[in-house]
Amino acid sequence: MSEKTTTAVDRVRTEALGAMEQARTLDELDQVRVRFTGRKSELAGIQKSMGSLDPEQRKQVGQAVNGLRQEFDAAFEARHDALARAVLGERLEAERLDLSLPPRRVRPGRPHLITQVLDEIVDAFIGLGYSVADGPEAEAGAYNFDMMNIPADHPARQEMDTIYVSTDDDVVLRTHTSPVQARVMTTQTPPIAVVVPGRVFRADSVDATHSPVFHQVEGLLIDEGVTLADLRGTLLAMAQALFGPDREIRLRPSMFPFTEPSVETDVSCGFCARDGAACRACSGTGWIEILGAGMVDPDVLDACGIDHQRYSGFAFGVGAERVAMLRHGVRDTRDLYEGDARFLARF
Amino acid sequence: MKVPLSWLLDFVDVSHLSVDDLIDVMSLNGLEVEEVHAPGRGTLGVRTKRVVSWGPHPDADKLRVVTVTDGTEQIELVCGASNFDTGDIVAHAEVGATIPAQGGAGEPFELEARELRGVVSNGMLCSARELQLGDDHSGIMVLPPDTPLGVSLTQVLPVGEPVIEVAVLADRGDHHCILGLAREVAAILGIAHRVPQPAWSDDPSDVQVDIAGAAGGCAHFVTRVVEDVTVGPSPWWLRQRLIQCGIRPINNVVDVTNLVMLELGQPLHAFDLDTVHGRRVEVRWALEGETLVTLDGAERALLGSDLIIADADRIVSLAGVMGGADTEVAAGTTTVLLEGAIWDPGTIRRTSRRLNLISEASLRFERRVDPAGARRAVTRAAELLVELAGGTLGGVAEDGAPGGPGEPVEVDAAWVARFLGLDDLPPDAQADYLRRLGCEVDVRGAGLTVTPPSWRGDLVRPADIAEEVARLYGLDNVPSTLPPVLTRGGLSVAQKAERRVREAALAGGFHEVRTWPFVGRATLQAVVPTDGRVGLENPLAQDAATMTPSLVEALLQVVRRNVGQQRPGVAIFELARIFRPAGDPVEESLKGFGDGWIWRDPEGRSLPTQPRTLGLAAQGLRLGEGWLDEGETWSVYDLLAVFDEVVRRLAPPDDPSWTLERLAVERDGMHPGRTAALHVRGVEIGLVGQLHPNEADARDLPEPVVVGELLLEPLLGHLEVSPEPIQARPLTRHAAMTIDVALQAPVTVPFAELRTAIREGAGELLDEHWVFDEYRGEQLGEGQRSIAVRLRLQSPDRQLTDEDAEQVIQAIAERAGELGATLRR
Repeated sequence: MSEKTTTAVDRVRTEALGAMEQARTLDELDQVRVRFTGRKSELAGIQKSMGSLDPEQRKQVGQAVNGLRQEFDAAFEARHDALARAVLGERLEAERLDLSLPPRRVRPGRPHLITQVLDEIVDAFIGLGYSVADGPEAEAGAYNFDMMNIPADHPARQEMDTIYVSTDDDVVLRTHTSPVQARVMTTQTPPIAVVVPGRVFRADSVDATHSPVFHQVEGLLIDEGVTLADLRGTLLAMAQALFGPDREIRLRPSMFPFTEPSVETDVSCGFCARDGAACRACSGTGWIEILGAGMVDPDVLDACGIDHQRYSGFAFGVGAERVAMLRHGVRDTRDLYEGDARFLARF
Repeated sequence: MKVPLSWLLDFVDVSHLSVDDLIDVMSLNGLEVEEVHAPGRGTLGVRTKRVVSWGPHPDADKLRVVTVTDGTEQIELVCGASNFDTGDIVAHAEVGATIPAQGGAGEPFELEARELRGVVSNGMLCSARELQLGDDHSGIMVLPPDTPLGVSLTQVLPVGEPVIEVAVLADRGDHHCILGLAREVAAILGIAHRVPQPAWSDDPSDVQVDIAGAAGGCAHFVTRVVEDVTVGPSPWWLRQRLIQCGIRPINNVVDVTNLVMLELGQPLHAFDLDTVHGRRVEVRWALEGETLVTLDGAERALLGSDLIIADADRIVSLAGVMGGADTEVAAGTTTVLLEGAIWDPGTIRRTSRRLNLISEASLRFERRVDPAGARRAVTRAAELLVELAGGTLGGVAEDGAPGGPGEPVEVDAAWVARFLGLDDLPPDAQADYLRRLGCEVDVRGAGLTVTPPSWRGDLVRPADIAEEVARLYGLDNVPSTLPPVLTRGGLSVAQKAERRVREAALAGGFHEVRTWPFVGRATLQAVVPTDGRVGLENPLAQDAATMTPSLVEALLQVVRRNVGQQRPGVAIFELARIFRPAGDPVEESLKGFGDGWIWRDPEGRSLPTQPRTLGLAAQGLRLGEGWLDEGETWSVYDLLAVFDEVVRRLAPPDDPSWTLERLAVERDGMHPGRTAALHVRGVEIGLVGQLHPNEADARDLPEPVVVGELLLEPLLGHLEVSPEPIQARPLTRHAAMTIDVALQAPVTVPFAELRTAIREGAGELLDEHWVFDEYRGEQLGEGQRSIAVRLRLQSPDRQLTDEDAEQVIQAIAERAGELGATLRR
């Protein structure tokens, strides 16, 4: 009987180890485990039948069974590891991606170039202690013209190519951001330091450098003892913030009804060697006109209720389109308003 | 104002400067040089010759064979003109000579010996047009008989010299003449200039002059008679100067008046005195209903605000603007009445604008001419008529008086220095600058009494004087200083929030655009549509005659342009103002949120309502033609995601009344089943939707096209009123529990209501919730749908149990039941 039992154990060993080798998946391997070591397996039967054996035989058979179990467990472990490794390997192989292909193109949008320019100018002045003021685009003629020292029959009013909303109600599309100067000066007391980014309108025909809709940043600083040198230093700081720290500026006399003295401001050209050779930006002169400025006209201060004997100040207006064109090589203002996605996504 | 270099040099000697240096001096000191022309540039080797003989071309009817000489050598050539005869002095472009590029542009044209129908032509005889000396091409130039022979034409006439075009500033009418510009250049350089001082005569004429009827309109009226004139063409030098300055030569009398105007800045008029009735000129305000046929042949209807000149019987001139046709100087005129007057600038400007009649004269009068300059100009013109038209001087008649220097301006020199930011600029130095400009200056310590010259009407205040000092001191010598930081500065809460709005749209994949706010009458609208329009009186085009009431119209045009570029999809946004008449229905949506959106004029009257909105538009494929997620298109939900995020970032965080509610609506041009009005606190502040297929088709846009618009003023206005910082919430450490509920309800019950049931049912345990399925089907019945929602529950103080979950589900079921919804298990 024990002879026979020991032989049976050997046979089970051979069959079990063989079946384990045959198992191709973890599931099959588990079935092998159940078949050979489970409660209903032949081995379990042998163990159950051990009670009827004499002690000596029981000891022999017990050793054989335990030996088989240990052997089985070790082999199972090894086979399980091998199969698990193979499964993971297959999965990794199956999950291989061709990362040379382009990724999904969910890109955030881009802020408009004019927004970027406006923000940059505004941020430069915030750094100098300015705050930001705003005003309507359909504006009272009184703010746009009269309080800016441009009376009804002033030649400058004709030159502004105004788009009128209502002559009767004296409402225009603001021709510059300067009316916000009047709005600020009539509601605040000095010291005043504001910039006004905004959209302005002129009845201009459209071409590469003219648009009936364009953007300005107005600046206004009013306090006791503000000087022309303060204006010059401020414009220099802005030019260097926008175009680079190595730039210089040059002031030329000009005329604006709302400033006295009035100046045109040129920034040194950074696009050419400044040697008189043809340059698209400066035509070889080495200087590029970027903005108009001046000391706030005493009549404007008076019209806005600020005592010009006590206070002085400066104002300037820079065109965002002009800065964008100069800095980014935009050749045609129309590109800024057509909304072609190739242009929008570029900046 | 165009300035021929030779003419400028007649008045101020700047021959030591190169043209480039002269232009620099001018443009850096207040004379903005717009352009430099050189009519006739390229003229080289054109010499004066005398016609020795001419005969017909043997083989061509319209050509002549001409022999010319420079006094020694004879040359034969062929010429197509016939306005010359033997003995005439002509301009001969020799073989090897060059003449200006014909037609305006390109390299000069070089002449070669050329055979014309069997006769060799050695060069050509030039017409005025060929040398850019005028439009005349009817014949060749015939020069005066006393012209030296055999010399270069450029020695006789400065052909090809630089003509500097100066942009005259609006307050510097005194720059509208050669004298004024020469005076300015001299002041800048600190050198002398020449002032013509023709001798004034007191010999009276028999002409009567009366300006009593022009009170306030005419300060001085000067006339002089010139008799026995012979009207004919002007000499070439005079014609050239007019051409260089952009004025067409007419005849010697008219040309002289124009020449003097260009030279001295005083417009003049020449009457044929024999056509002036009663030898009387009267200046007066016109009577409404009177008319005048001006020199250009047009009949002008006059108003009481126009100034006219009349003779004994009729109106003969529209003062300061244009003369009348009846008294025009013409070929047979022998007696000329020269007139120079000082008119009120505003009157001339208004008349000129009203009649849309802008002349060289009106342009100068409206910018103010030298009130002391009329006599000088009339005298100068009379002398020139004697010289050039063979006239004899007659007497003068005038009324009114010449103007004098300006009112004295008291200036504190120390203030000027401070104002300019200079440590020190001595009073004497300032006085010196001002004297260079023609001012009289008294210096008493730091006090300057500045009396401006008659031609500087713009110098009336200390700031004006300071500008002149700064200009001559040199703006480039002004130091650069930064003013101290005066104010706290920075962006306001709402201004920062506006940047956050942009970020939300950008993060959603939308590019920012900027469009023009002009539209025609028919326009698609989004938020609170209206028939109200803010119209324009002088629109750029008829299809751009009103301000846009909604951003979506312009956005759709941008979408269309991108579709036209064969783009598979596009998504754009704009943050800008829309325009509605005051009182528009949109104001109902703005009223409860502060008044920052209201703009008024100085009298307190409302301007058009112009709130800021965020507009979105998207079309076609969301991810382009990418190989991943093929075919995914933009949907209304993508727009909603942006608007939701905007509201979440800007609205108070834990206030459910600020939740963006969506109410299905039907609107013109929009898909009836895919359009929702967006509400907060019971008012519409936005709209999203898909374009109706017909609308998309009409706009030639491939579907789907989705648009949306959100009023920002309520959000920004709220922030200005109560900019409270967002408060942190404690992070719960106990494990969360996830449960799913499905709520079945009629499709007419908006999800917002079901969400309320979920929020209330789950109470404080609700951390987050997501819609993860929507189901419609036969089992549910017609008009029903089931929405599956996953809830994440969490308690700050304990571990949740199945019992908690059951209570939440029961509570949601109850609330849902009140709404006509049922909870499906």
